[in-house]
Amino acid sequence: MGDGTSIGRVRGLGSSHHGAHHWLTHRFTAIANLVLMSWFIISLLLLGDYSYASVIGWISQPLSSVAMMLLCANLFWHAQMGLQVLIEDYVHDPGMKFGVLTVLNLAAVGGGAFCIFSVATLAFGA
Amino acid sequence: MLVSILHRATGDGMALVGLAVLVWWLGALASGPEAYETFAWVMASPIGYLVMVGLTWAFFTHMMSGLRHFVLDIGAGYELDTNKMWSILSPMIAIVLTVAVWTLLVIRDGGLG
Repeated sequence: MGDGTSIGRVRGLGSSHHGAHHWLTHRFTAIANLVLMSWFIISLLLLGDYSYASVIGWISQPLSSVAMMLLCANLFWHAQMGLQVLIEDYVHDPGMKFGVLTVLNLAAVGGGAFCIFSVATLAFGA
Repeated sequence: MLVSILHRATGDGMALVGLAVLVWWLGALASGPEAYETFAWVMASPIGYLVMVGLTWAFFTHMMSGLRHFVLDIGAGYELDTNKMWSILSPMIAIVLTVAVWTLLVIRDGGLG
């Protein structure tokens, strides 16, 4: 490993071994999203009436609540992975990349937690 | 090429706009009827419809190109004719599904209101 050219600095290091895991997890969450979003869209179409009482009556049922919480977790997970790849493709400055990825992770976990908590309050009738 | 760009644009677009709408929707539901009224009022406005129809289109486009990616990931569909056919059909099926959903919503329910 040299310290001159950019290829010299990375030659011999091998892969970071995180790429395949990221790629596979992106697909696993995609499959889960396909299932959960199909449930979500069909449920909303069957619901028809989007008044407060109607939506609460639907979402607070145990099956709907659990599916909705899983959907929230899975959507934010999958979205975080997609945005991470976007950032890694276009933000090349190491410090900036670290900062943007940090903001992304905070937003993804925070948003997911807020959504799951919101569904929980509806499920428990608060 | 276009399908690949559309896949990323719709995916990252939904990650930013779609999840913001989801957060607002669930937060408004959890906050009570008044907060939900505000959300529902905005979504029934012209801009709200633009966002919701846009998200529906983005979802189906991302779903169709995602399904196409699954087929390509297992090593199938690389024959030139097959590849070209699905690169054209995927976004078109997505538009058909978007129109179908909104036709149902508008004709049966009279929209989001």
